[in-house]
Amino acid sequence: MTTQTDSGPATVSLHSDREQLFRVRGLTKTYGVGDAAVHALAGVDLDLYTGEFIVLLGPSGSGKTTLLNQIGGLDVPTSGELRYRDLDLANATEEDLTHYRRDSVGFVFQFYNLIPSLTARENVALITEIAHDPIPAETALEMVNLGARLDHFPAQLSGGEQQRVAIARAIAKRPEVLLCDEPTGALDIRTGIVVLEAIERVNRELSTLTVVITHNAVMAQMADRVVRFSDGRVHSIHKNSQRAPASSVNW
Amino acid sequence: MFSHLDRKLLRDLTRLKGQALAVALVMACGLAMLTMSRSLIYSLESTRREYYEAHRFADIFVALKRAPNSVASRVAELPGVAGVDAGVSAQVTLDIPGLDEPASGLVRSLPDRGEKELNRLFLRSGRWLTPRGRGEVLVGEAFALANQLGPGDAIAMLLNGRRQEFRIAGIVLSPEFVFESRPGAALPDNRTYGIFWMPYEEVARAFDLYGAFNFLSLTLAPGAREHAVITAVDQLLKLYGGRGAFGRGDHPSHIRVSDEIRVLQTLSIGFPVVFLSVAAFMINAVLSRLLALQREQIAILKAFGFANRQIVVHYLKFAFVIVAVGTVLGAMGGVPLAKRLVVMYEMFFRFPALEFRLDPSALVWAALVATFAATIGVHGAVRRAAKLPPAEAMRPEPPANYRPAFVERTGIAHWLSHTFRIAVRNIERRPMQAAFTVAGLALATGILIVPNSFRDSVKRILGFQWDVIDRDDISIGLLEPAGVKVGHLFEKLPGVVSTEVFRNTAARIQFGHKSRQLAIRGMTADGEHKRVVDKALHQLPLPEHGLLISAKLAEILGARVGDQLVLEILEGKRPVLTLPLVGLADDLTGLSAYVERRALNRLLGEGDVINGASFVLDAAARPNFLRELKGIPKVSWVAVKDSLRASFEKTTAASINLIQTMYLVFATVVAFGVVYNNARISLAERARELATLRVVGFSSREVGTVLVTELVILGLVALPLGLLLGTGFATGIIGMVNTETVRLPLVLTARNYAFATLVVSIASVISAAVVLRQLSHLNLVGALKAPE
Ligand SMILES: Nc1ncnc2c1ncn2[C@@H]1O[C@H](COP(=O)(O)OP(=O)(O)OP(=O)(O)O)[C@@H](O)[C@H]1O
Ligand SMILES: [Mg+2]
Repeated sequence: MTTQTDSGPATVSLHSDREQLFRVRGLTKTYGVGDAAVHALAGVDLDLYTGEFIVLLGPSGSGKTTLLNQIGGLDVPTSGELRYRDLDLANATEEDLTHYRRDSVGFVFQFYNLIPSLTARENVALITEIAHDPIPAETALEMVNLGARLDHFPAQLSGGEQQRVAIARAIAKRPEVLLCDEPTGALDIRTGIVVLEAIERVNRELSTLTVVITHNAVMAQMADRVVRFSDGRVHSIHKNSQRAPASSVNW
Repeated sequence: MFSHLDRKLLRDLTRLKGQALAVALVMACGLAMLTMSRSLIYSLESTRREYYEAHRFADIFVALKRAPNSVASRVAELPGVAGVDAGVSAQVTLDIPGLDEPASGLVRSLPDRGEKELNRLFLRSGRWLTPRGRGEVLVGEAFALANQLGPGDAIAMLLNGRRQEFRIAGIVLSPEFVFESRPGAALPDNRTYGIFWMPYEEVARAFDLYGAFNFLSLTLAPGAREHAVITAVDQLLKLYGGRGAFGRGDHPSHIRVSDEIRVLQTLSIGFPVVFLSVAAFMINAVLSRLLALQREQIAILKAFGFANRQIVVHYLKFAFVIVAVGTVLGAMGGVPLAKRLVVMYEMFFRFPALEFRLDPSALVWAALVATFAATIGVHGAVRRAAKLPPAEAMRPEPPANYRPAFVERTGIAHWLSHTFRIAVRNIERRPMQAAFTVAGLALATGILIVPNSFRDSVKRILGFQWDVIDRDDISIGLLEPAGVKVGHLFEKLPGVVSTEVFRNTAARIQFGHKSRQLAIRGMTADGEHKRVVDKALHQLPLPEHGLLISAKLAEILGARVGDQLVLEILEGKRPVLTLPLVGLADDLTGLSAYVERRALNRLLGEGDVINGASFVLDAAARPNFLRELKGIPKVSWVAVKDSLRASFEKTTAASINLIQTMYLVFATVVAFGVVYNNARISLAERARELATLRVVGFSSREVGTVLVTELVILGLVALPLGLLLGTGFATGIIGMVNTETVRLPLVLTARNYAFATLVVSIASVISAAVVLRQLSHLNLVGALKAPE
């Protein structure tokens, strides 16, 4: 396994075959004011490209989730530059953000966050209803090997199954970006691998830029690039010459 | 096809069906009231309008002493007059077989040829009078029904003192007598007072009025001004003893229906407002709870690109499904209620066909008003949902911030048990929710006060009228004024314990621009039979000089004690007098003016005459008295208090019971709904916490105590507030029934308060019991799982 350390943002030459999706410069996010102020992001520089698989590592409280929220348009930064293609996410209106999230971003969260009153199929269909050019809910669920559990309610599914429904829900709209915040955090190893395989497959088959936050350093082997975070900044970026398949990842 | 978000909505609703239904039911109560009262107003108004049009109800009416028939055509030529109908109108006494008391009535003439010009009759059964036939009569329906008279039956009448036998040809209705009642009587008695129609020739000859008329009605030409025509008519008829023309606004039958419509209008606003405010409160509580539960779901929807608008619409739909259910239930409840009340109105108001007519706009209003209430109710909650930043919502709600409760900080902490502490801290932690619970319970209590207060009020009126004011047993009127000596004859009738004579006269009373036409009652200064009382029920002696009038009349005229009122007497020499207003009578029905009899007679310049008397009788000798009375030819009408009272109670008791039951059911629905809703929310919100208590070893009983303690504390705050609120509702709603016909006094009894307290307490206990049962079924593992 080869690793390479960059001190600055990755250069375009490394990704000549790929289109740049995000440009992040000097991004900060501060919560609270005065003495109580928390600088969750303290100047992040980062570029992200189509089809990449990024793993985001870093100690608890280092700002990973905060960054993901800014990238996903769930929240707006305090200062700095944040661009998705031509869209200035840092200064976008609520309406722009809504459209951006609707058309371009898929989320997967640690606690699945399914709508408990809707079945697996309905949870996915809920999103495909408002998407432009979605994959049928059933197809999306088959991609995560859940074709057989379509009509189960979240309460009738195991954690891993629920997380796969969440992935199906996230990818059914064919997003350009898939953002996963500790998707395996609540799962055991074997289930975690199944979920990672699903994410990997989506990344490969749909060429979706995939950013996965994890506390599990071994998952870094799956990534094109590994971004290490600390104290609200990008500490380092490693580029893997070779991506290891999820099934081979050893916990 | 439902969208998937709608499916979520349906499932959320199914899960909360108990609470959704509770809200819908409360809403339905208000909407049922709205649908009912609007439909009744519509039924009464449209039926009356069509009846008036089809049967040519007149616009102006005038009674006079006597005018040759040619005068009628002069009236017809007055500017602004479209049609005229003149005839004879006379008081008669009746002798009904089987009725031991004398009855009286009013006879109207029908043209000998052709149909009446105005105020045409409607033939309910039998046939019209045969042309030139004699000894036939048409009878008003209310009297016929009360005395079980039908076509072909015989009836004896004393026409101008001469007894005559008549055969009933038909039973009829007249737009002039939609409400058949003795003029001036506070309450109707159809058994002893009826309206009759006979050929002109027969009545006119009997009353020496042949070739003349003493009653005239007219219709206004389009655009004519009522006031101007009345002035012209009065001017013209002055010579002929005109008693003062009056418009529909002073027509006794017409105002009774109008008053009823006014009361319905009050109901159509007052009650729905209260009920829908409660519903708005409840829907707010349910939705706030739902939104708190679904914080993360809302965040997910936003993260996946649902716009704020879609989320707002989603939760609004939740409210509108409840509104839709409430509206449908309300209409379903309101329509049959209105139908039953229509049947009740048929006992009071005589229309050819008073049928229930659904006011379609009532349904539209109901839906609109309910939507409005719901929107107000959910506005805040839904806005909070829309404002929720998606990233924020993804984090679990921060742990509740507890601190020692206020009562504990006062230093009595060690007096308090653990359960009490948990309960108090909980209330303090969620002050808004506690406030909503208190508000809901207080509203329920408040609503319960109204129906009983209404019943007590009607009871007070009846007691007031018959025990405080009218202390005689029987009163009679004379055909013509007679010398005061006649009084001595009355004293000699069998069984008379005491008798008092009076002199009534028609007059127009005026102050400033306002005037009313009524009977001036000339009575003994400190009579024991018909008493004039003030607010404190102390008898007001009639003064030597000046007059007392109903407080309501003073309010209408805008007059105060000390003001000079103008009295235009409409009989005899028709003097116009100016008298000081010396006091206000706090009567509850009708409008009256009282003057000392001798003083009145002096003012009228007719010597000391009387035209009626009242009696207190020895009960045993009563049949004898009545038999003798039937034989006195000069008596024009008789009012027997007991039969009046009995017949009133029979007809009114049913309707009052109906109305009271209706209000009571509604109020109870609210009480149960509010408490149930609250207990459910409280349990749902705290399932985790309570389960935790169970897990760490509290018994289910101890955990229950926490909940109950909380409810009891809230109840203790809510009940007194509710009683206060109820006092306010009762004051507002009952105070609005303040018409010329009837003024409902505000009566609030300890029993009423106790009843409201009891019902709300029982409702709370039952709801709490339901919740406690669920508590013992609490799924510990389920409740402790990550929040939904
Ligand atoms: N809404 C907020 N208000 C105040 N502080 C916040 C908020 N959100 C995050 N923070 C703070 O910002 C910092 C970064 O938080 P963030 O959630 O991004 O960390 P993280 O790297 O995702 O940590 P973890 O691995 O534990 O999930 C933390 O110190 C956190 O307490
Ligand atoms: Mg995090």
